[in-house]
Amino acid sequence: MGYVRLIVRNLRGRPARTTLTVLGLAVAVSAVMLLTGISWGFERSFLAIYQSRGIDLIVVRAGISDQLSSNLDQNLEQVIREIPGVASVAPSLMDAVSFEEANLVSVLANGWEPGGLLIDGLRLLDGRPLDASDDRQVLLGRVLALNLDKAVGDAVDIAGESFRVVGIYESESLFESGGLVMPLPELQRMMGREGQVTGFVIVADGAADPRALGVEVERQVPGVAAIPARDYVKGNLQLRLARAMASATTIVALVLGSIGLLNTMAMAVTERTGEIGLLRALGWRRSRIILLLMGEAGGLGVLGVIGGTLLAISGARALVLSPTSRGFIEPNLSPMILGIGVALGIGLTLLGGLYPAIRAARLEPTEALRHD
Amino acid sequence: MTEHDSNRQAEPPLLQGEALVKTYPDGDVKALRGVSLAVNAREFVAITGPSGCGKSTLLHLLGGLDRPTSGTVRYKGTPLSQLDLDRYRACEVGFVFQAFHLIPTLTALENVQIPMFPGGRPRAQRPRVARRLLEEVGLPHRIGHGPRSLSIGERQRVAIARALANEPALLLADEPTGNLDSLAQQEILDLLARLRSERSISLLMITHSPEVAAAADRVVRMKDGRILSP
Repeated sequence: MGYVRLIVRNLRGRPARTTLTVLGLAVAVSAVMLLTGISWGFERSFLAIYQSRGIDLIVVRAGISDQLSSNLDQNLEQVIREIPGVASVAPSLMDAVSFEEANLVSVLANGWEPGGLLIDGLRLLDGRPLDASDDRQVLLGRVLALNLDKAVGDAVDIAGESFRVVGIYESESLFESGGLVMPLPELQRMMGREGQVTGFVIVADGAADPRALGVEVERQVPGVAAIPARDYVKGNLQLRLARAMASATTIVALVLGSIGLLNTMAMAVTERTGEIGLLRALGWRRSRIILLLMGEAGGLGVLGVIGGTLLAISGARALVLSPTSRGFIEPNLSPMILGIGVALGIGLTLLGGLYPAIRAARLEPTEALRHD
Repeated sequence: MTEHDSNRQAEPPLLQGEALVKTYPDGDVKALRGVSLAVNAREFVAITGPSGCGKSTLLHLLGGLDRPTSGTVRYKGTPLSQLDLDRYRACEVGFVFQAFHLIPTLTALENVQIPMFPGGRPRAQRPRVARRLLEEVGLPHRIGHGPRSLSIGERQRVAIARALANEPALLLADEPTGNLDSLAQQEILDLLARLRSERSISLLMITHSPEVAAAADRVVRMKDGRILSP
């Protein structure tokens, strides 16, 4: 019998304690993976709106904290187009609509110019693209069509008006796939914002430095902020809130997980004080006992992270399929996030096991043997 | 005086306690009050006395499980304070406890292998040696059983096999028959006698039983932390 076998026998010999400890660790690890994955997925999905179309700059009203509250004159498009270094520019009106019968609130509604660079970034799955002459016609994102159970040719009620679905699209961004697109004038009319847009997106020509171009846009168009896409995503209010929430919840999950684990490990060692005394009596060195207990903690850690990873993957799948979160949440369980979860789980277990192991090894054999 | 006797006089005792005092700090209890005792090679010494007289404390000090407040324990003439105590406990002495102290999650075969980890025996040899020891104590058919499925007598046999794992020169037994019925008690005594004879080891045993003490080469009587004059 070697160390590994002894560790396995000790863990298998106490099935209830091992199972409960592994379960507690798995929940903590999966919470960290899922919450971080949701936060990162949110950011990735938002960034994909711009990256998938090669957009370099976002132009919104200066000083606003929320893109939906931005309000610019659509005619600024011509001024921006003339600025050297601008390869293309597209206006965008963005708003949120609800489908209460389907229990969907804050669905993203985009008003874009048919044939413009924004609409070109969508992949049509069914039906046809929008046409400038379309009246009461709409494209639905794949996830929204699924949530509303609508197909091409169906009628859909949007903010009290009836529209006909002419196409279903897929986007790199979950937000867009969970939303809808209609011609810009149509959304302007519906929202009573004729001649207004939320902002513009700019693709710089190859030679231009996007950051310098942004400064030039702000100089030539007073009252606007021209922000590089990545900075815009990082500074987005909703995204910052989501990230802060995810970080706070992750820390809480970690703290609770650590305390639970420390308690479990301490209990497990206390329960075995007599056994540890026996090992000392039989000549086991303190370092050897610490190695054994840490090996057991490591074994629990490995089982916990395997369980936690499986839980996180199942949880992510459930979130994507759940009607209440479908179209809004798409956890990004990248190898990096899984790696963070695994490292935290193993690190946490070893840390949780270290103190009780040292404390146990310091006991005198006679003192420990009396516990039996 | 025979040649054997003169050789024995020239050699230091296998284990020797000199003026051992043990005071526990909580309550200022004096468990031992200057005890001196020697155990020679291949000798069977029984320690008797009423509960609380310091027998177990003396055994713990001689076995390196605890340190004396004053006095010296020597093994083959060398003070324990100069020896690696962990190695001494692992290789030079074998412990047999009244409560057996077997690890409940391990089988008999695995329990016997536990002292072999610090004893330095190669991993590949451990199961074979443990199996042989269990055969030696009469349990070849119980090697895969856990302590809970063994009888009380069988548990003590496993504990004895475990004490022999690193082939010690001395067995220290703290009332090894204290939890056994008279039949099992006799079987364990016969086993210890056989092992002592076959392996030429010394045996220092605490017992309350006059029958057990009668089998010893020498009986040491204790009272109130002292050894009574013979």
